[in-house]
Amino acid sequence: MATKNTSTADQALIPLDYKPSKMRIERITEETSDTKTFRLNFCDADEAQRFEFRAGQFGLYSVFGAGEATFCIASSPTRKEYIECSVKRMGKVTAELHQCNEGDIIGFRGPYGNSFPMEQMEGKNLLFIGGGIGLAPLRSLIWNCLDLREQFAEMTILYGARTEADLVYKEELKTWQQMQDVRTAYTVDPGGETPEWKGEVGFVPQILEKMKPSPKNTIVITCGPPIMIKFVLVSLTGLDFSLESAYTTLENRMKCGVGKCGRCNVGNQYVCKDGPVFRCSDLQNLPQEF
Amino acid sequence: MGEQKLYQASANWLKSAVDALCAAGIEVLAPTQSESGKVDLARVTSSEQVIQSYPNTAFPLKRLFLPMSEVLLEYEKGEEGDVELGPKSAPAKELVILGCRPCDAAALEMLDKVFQWDYSDVPYQEKRDRTTVVSLACSEPSPECFCTSVGGSPQGSEQSDVLVFGGANSAALMQINTAKGEKFIERLADTVTPAPEGTKLPEPTELEQKFDPQKVKGWLDENFESNFWVENSLGCLGCGTCSYLCPTCHCFDIVDEASWNRGQRRRNWDCCSFALFTLHASGHNPRPDQAARYRQRLMHKFKVFPERFGRVACVGCGRCLKNCAVGQNLLADLADIESR
Ligand SMILES: Cc1cc2nc3c(=O)[nH]c(=O)nc-3n(C[C@H](O)[C@H](O)[C@H](O)COP(=O)(O)OP(=O)(O)OC[C@H]3O[C@@H](n4cnc5c(N)ncnc54)[C@H](O)[C@@H]3O)c2cc1C
Ligand code: SF4
Ligand code: SF4
Ligand code: FES
Repeated sequence: MATKNTSTADQALIPLDYKPSKMRIERITEETSDTKTFRLNFCDADEAQRFEFRAGQFGLYSVFGAGEATFCIASSPTRKEYIECSVKRMGKVTAELHQCNEGDIIGFRGPYGNSFPMEQMEGKNLLFIGGGIGLAPLRSLIWNCLDLREQFAEMTILYGARTEADLVYKEELKTWQQMQDVRTAYTVDPGGETPEWKGEVGFVPQILEKMKPSPKNTIVITCGPPIMIKFVLVSLTGLDFSLESAYTTLENRMKCGVGKCGRCNVGNQYVCKDGPVFRCSDLQNLPQEF
Repeated sequence: MGEQKLYQASANWLKSAVDALCAAGIEVLAPTQSESGKVDLARVTSSEQVIQSYPNTAFPLKRLFLPMSEVLLEYEKGEEGDVELGPKSAPAKELVILGCRPCDAAALEMLDKVFQWDYSDVPYQEKRDRTTVVSLACSEPSPECFCTSVGGSPQGSEQSDVLVFGGANSAALMQINTAKGEKFIERLADTVTPAPEGTKLPEPTELEQKFDPQKVKGWLDENFESNFWVENSLGCLGCGTCSYLCPTCHCFDIVDEASWNRGQRRRNWDCCSFALFTLHASGHNPRPDQAARYRQRLMHKFKVFPERFGRVACVGCGRCLKNCAVGQNLLADLADIESR
């Protein structure tokens, strides 16, 4: 974990004037009653050409007049023609974004933050554990890995939501389920199922314990509500996983995204710069302020 | 700089500098006193507005580089969902700050570190680049001052382009520290002369060290969980006065102010003492009570900042102790921590 100022004198500083890039909403997909996925294109062709990011990074998306809000980039860096974000309606900016139509222009600045440890993941079994809208950052990573499938060993996706209606990316869940070389398990909380539901019923940590994945040569990436993460880590420890090979993301409130506004501190870590991806064993050594 | 460059000027240097700079069309901020007695650095156009004797100014320098509310962007929504963004930033005009105290100049070091960390904050840096800082060394620190406890000194020259020694009635000695400082001296023309060979700086003003930041950090390292935080934050109103008056506090919010189809994106001062500061959209708040927020204030200044940037985020100006409505006293709390 970085504990020093990461900048050095000979490292060029990136000028930041807080002016966002303009992006046009190309497509809006309704995921659930309160979550929509936006596919965005840069209005400026040069910006589109230059733009690069890694799975796990986030951006500050803005509706002019409403303000900025932080969302991960939910599409894969291997799909270069667009970026996507999935937005749950929570407050001012997210509500305004939900009012937008295809063709509208919004602002984007980024990508910011660190990313998932693609290099360490090479050659390993990958276990993705997601809950609710937490599948958004995982989706970027999952497609990233699927597009480079031969670099990884087994891939397992465990995903849960409160009810069937709350599952996001329903089409993609089916696609992953049908893939020969991906193991999937989808679950809803008890009472959240309809009579037609063919998946699991139970909380994500319980299903994890039932699946008994092997910790051998495996890297775990888990994103979801804090309470789910907490119990997933307990279950992983029970299954003999080392939290050194488990990663998650933090979602502290952010404003600048670049280590200046002071809002996202957890101990001496800036979630916007040192995160949002953290090794679970490192998180245990931080003040529990997230 | 190899050999230190010293110049001397008359006791009236401040007034002559104001007149020389104003005549050259340069923007000048100098100490003035309001009718209610408040001393502050204000834009002046003539030396008549300037006062020469004061302990320190009411406000630190940060608002000159990080204004309380600053336009980051203007937008106008057109037909068919299109948006025009502006404005193009205008070239910044030269500005000279005259007569700030060494602690307030030193605080720019902390702000520079934050605003020049991987990303260079353009709105901040433009204002910083155009500004020359001419500080006035302290011969009579106030009772609340504790710069010597946090690595500073009443004669500290850090981030001062020029440091001036001398009271209101004695000749002034000017120590030039940077190229901007040299330019300032040139502008003063024959009102300054090089100090004779062998001229010595005045003896440093004594100011007792009131606590040891190393010891404070040692305790902070071990005591994230402690009753201290509850006990010492009970009075805190969470009003943010201490942060707003702090030369090093730099937290901000970014908000849009809309009026029909056009508006502005602004950054406004914010503060970790406010309950909404870290509130998640879900309603979860990682710092749910004032104790947690008070802890953040001390931790950030005396533990996190040293760990990330190599020094404490406090310059010992004493404004927070002087101005807290309920008498929260940082200095007393640090002394208390040190004695634990
Ligand atoms: C790294 C990161 C990645 C993220 N990724 C995603 C993602 O992919 N998808 C996603 O949907 N979300 C994501 N989030 C969460 C998302 O940023 C927030 O949900 C979003 O910023 C909410 O913005 P808003 O303007 O709609 O809410 P706001 O209107 O800013 O605030 C909502 C809540 O804040 C409180 N509040 C604000 N102002 C006041 C006030 N004046 N008085 C009282 N209470 C107040 C209330 O509780 C209110 O309900 C991510 C967050 C982070 C940090
Ligand atoms: S310490 Fe005093 S000035 Fe600071 S927030 Fe609390 S009440 Fe306000
Ligand atoms: S976190 Fe608090 S103490 Fe630190 S700079 Fe921000 S307002 Fe000041
Ligand atoms: S979001 Fe501003 S410092 Fe991290």
